[in-house]
Amino acid sequence: MKTPNIDLEELKRIKKENFKERLEFIDRYTEWLKKTSNKKWSSEQKDLIDS
Amino acid sequence: MNIKYSKNRIEFEKELNALDKFVIDFTFILNKLNIKYVIVSGYVSILFGRSRTSEDIDLIVEKLNFDKFRKLWENVYKKFECIIEKNSEHAYKEYLLTGHAIRFSKKDKFIPNIEMKFPKIDLDFWVLEERREVLLNNYKLFISPLELQIPFKLFLGSEKDIEDARHLYSIFKDKLDLELLQEFNRKLKIEKLFNKYLK
Repeated sequence: MKTPNIDLEELKRIKKENFKERLEFIDRYTEWLKKTSNKKWSSEQKDLIDS
Repeated sequence: MNIKYSKNRIEFEKELNALDKFVIDFTFILNKLNIKYVIVSGYVSILFGRSRTSEDIDLIVEKLNFDKFRKLWENVYKKFECIIEKNSEHAYKEYLLTGHAIRFSKKDKFIPNIEMKFPKIDLDFWVLEERREVLLNNYKLFISPLELQIPFKLFLGSEKDIEDARHLYSIFKDKLDLELLQEFNRKLKIEKLFNKYLK
């Protein structure tokens, strides 16, 4: 089977970018949490965790 | 998000998810038996809304004598079971007393589980002594002070840990004792990480 070329430096860059994007998501998400009622955010969290 | 925050108590209400209920079921037994404990794991971030789940909840429990431990074991075994060791004496002597953790899950399940250990190092004793009370829907839980929890997560250093730290800091930064937090940053030598990821 022919396998693709793997550029480790490219993968490291992508991993770093993904992490940066997740941190940015956390900032957006915590801003949303702070202005959202406990009932609403915890209901969404429950859907995620209990699914 | 509506949270009442004071130095020694955090009070709020939420719709409980399965992980919250699991933690409440276990800590209810500790509370009932007057056993001092503190939750130190990523669950602290999840408790306050982090958008992830976890397979384990880390607890530090005050060092118990064997009689008290057996009483805990008997109570725990009504709903849970130890997935590491089935014999209470072995669990106590070969795991807890030698500084290792034991894990309890709901009967016939493997995850999530409670990872429980006795305090071993100064930091364990400190966090147990300085634990913070959380009133979740009027139910009492004890967690690590956030001024330690956040730096310690950075110290652990995985991407997930850094995300947990960022979540807690974003939510609570206006309420924290920043002097205490900075002291832990210094002691754990993670000031650079703190400045890079949380400031």
